[in-house]
Amino acid sequence: MEENLIELKGLTKSYGYGDAKYFALKDFDLSIKRGEFIMIMGPSGCGKTTLLNIIGLLDRATRGEYLLNGENVISISSRRQAKLRAKKIGFIFQNFNLIEDLPVIENVALPLVYTGYSKTAQLKNASSILKRFHLQEREYYLPYQLSGGQQQRVAIARAIVGDPEIILADEPTGNLDSRSSRIVMEELKAIHEEGNTIIMVTHNPALTVYATRVINMLDGQIDTDVKTVADQNLPQPVNVKIKKRKKARRK
Amino acid sequence: MASLLRTNLRLARISIKENRTRSFLTCLGIAIGVASIVLILSLMGGISNLVKNEVNEIGSDLIVVRPNSSKDSVTSVIEELTSSNSFQNSSLNVSDVEAISKIEGVNAVAPIAISRNMINSEKNNLPSTQILGTNLDFIKIEPLAMHYGSFLSENNEEKSVVLGRTLSLALFNTINSTIGKTIEIMGEKFMIVGVLEEVDKSINFDNVDFDNAVIMDIKSLSKITDSVQIQQINIKAANTDVLGQVSNEISDALVKQKLGDRNFTVSYGDQISHPASSLFTIISGMLTLVAAISLVVGGIGVMNIMLVSVAERSHEIGVRKAVGASSRNILMQFLFEALILSILGGLFGLILGYILAFIISTITPFAPYISWSIIALTFLTTLAVGIIFGIYPALKAASKNPIDSLKHYR
Repeated sequence: MEENLIELKGLTKSYGYGDAKYFALKDFDLSIKRGEFIMIMGPSGCGKTTLLNIIGLLDRATRGEYLLNGENVISISSRRQAKLRAKKIGFIFQNFNLIEDLPVIENVALPLVYTGYSKTAQLKNASSILKRFHLQEREYYLPYQLSGGQQQRVAIARAIVGDPEIILADEPTGNLDSRSSRIVMEELKAIHEEGNTIIMVTHNPALTVYATRVINMLDGQIDTDVKTVADQNLPQPVNVKIKKRKKARRK
Repeated sequence: MASLLRTNLRLARISIKENRTRSFLTCLGIAIGVASIVLILSLMGGISNLVKNEVNEIGSDLIVVRPNSSKDSVTSVIEELTSSNSFQNSSLNVSDVEAISKIEGVNAVAPIAISRNMINSEKNNLPSTQILGTNLDFIKIEPLAMHYGSFLSENNEEKSVVLGRTLSLALFNTINSTIGKTIEIMGEKFMIVGVLEEVDKSINFDNVDFDNAVIMDIKSLSKITDSVQIQQINIKAANTDVLGQVSNEISDALVKQKLGDRNFTVSYGDQISHPASSLFTIISGMLTLVAAISLVVGGIGVMNIMLVSVAERSHEIGVRKAVGASSRNILMQFLFEALILSILGGLFGLILGYILAFIISTITPFAPYISWSIIALTFLTTLAVGIIFGIYPALKAASKNPIDSLKHYR
């Protein structure tokens, strides 16, 4: 049996002191296998986003253990955190979070800027990913010239361009109409089927049909945890695809 | 790494272009500071060059002895400013001149002593006119052309003077018929034996404005003033090959003469062109300081605008960090922007400074001095300004928490 991609043990995140102390996460345990598509649901303030930020190495837990690929990453330097974010994690946000001043293609290439790709390789990779999302004609548009659904697809392209191990999505359809939502979810599904691990926070119960596992959170802890696909049936990454993308790398 | 540098460069360009007016005004702040420094340095360089050229004209066989102040330079300059007589306490005296003239390889020795006094003529009275006391060797070392009459000679050493052209005009309203007339200084009468050709070099290594000076024998000068201060001794060596050796011998002779005191400087060649007056050095230093202050103000402008830029681009910083930019990447991005701003300002200032220097040089007797050292200095200064005033905003950007930054919307 392959080891877990993510292993969280006793993860706790608290804010404030004394009487005002408030736990966003409390002794949180979770194991995530490669190829899972996890939906995290729960009321506002139950710690979903905090969990996503900690998994995404944007935030640090107050205490507990976080093993990423077997490596304890809870107390690594912020420089190493940034490196892991660049190489292993892709973020998708509710409000897209594209950089307004940069054209679409450079927004997509952003993670590659910080992983030592040459300029040509950056643009080549970004361009081929955009093609996949049928946005190749809008490479040099600025984000404001695109619709919400298109912007979110650009954001997804940015999340996967660096070939990360985990894709974290924080309500990716929250700002979209139902049609755009469906397109975005289909894209995520396709990405998942290629063997990518996706952890997604959502408020919309209708979207759970895409997931292989649904976690309901309450007050910083897991309320229910339901797997709809057996572990051995999870899609696994095709190594060839990864190699092909890494080829463009210099060095 | 190279790719990251290029990316930073491009990002800085985009950001500067996005905020054109703001960037231009910031650059202008730096430019004004740099322009004033360039202006001062190029004009000061022009003055030095003028003196250097003059030394070259006179000949390479010139050796100059100047007194050193025993006190530190600032005190001596203040003393110089507050007293009517420069080099009130010169360490050189007439016996030094005699000692030097005995050295082998020395062809001519002329002291230069400056005094200021009221001059009366039959027509006009001039207050505080420069009186140069020297000896007959002076004309051998510095070939000043005579407009009329002759220089002091052995026959008329005493009680004779030579006038500068402008002074002659001021005293008698003429330059041609002043020979033989008398002027009165401190109650002593002197006969005019010659008028100099126009020199038109108010800045020279003797620190004497010849057009406006009276030249007389140093012995006559010491009779009318209490203490004659020699501000410089000019020496003509027999030939250029022995320059170093002769200057060493002069040095030794003077040390012996002064019982071991080394309160003088013997210089030859390019060293002479260092402006004779320490006042000049102090003034140029102070001007540069003032210019540097304006550069600091410009730097504060850069810092201010960078802080605004960092605040405005919080969201971008958050996004960049989320996709894997380290704090160091962010630091470099914003530091680069500050550097580009200040270097652009520096470039702009360099051009502006030289244009101003050329405009000013049309009314001064010297051309502005352009050198690689000034350009390099400007570049390094602006680089330093960019780093000093850019590092704080860049650190601020780098230390931003990505989660909080992402909450900033445009």
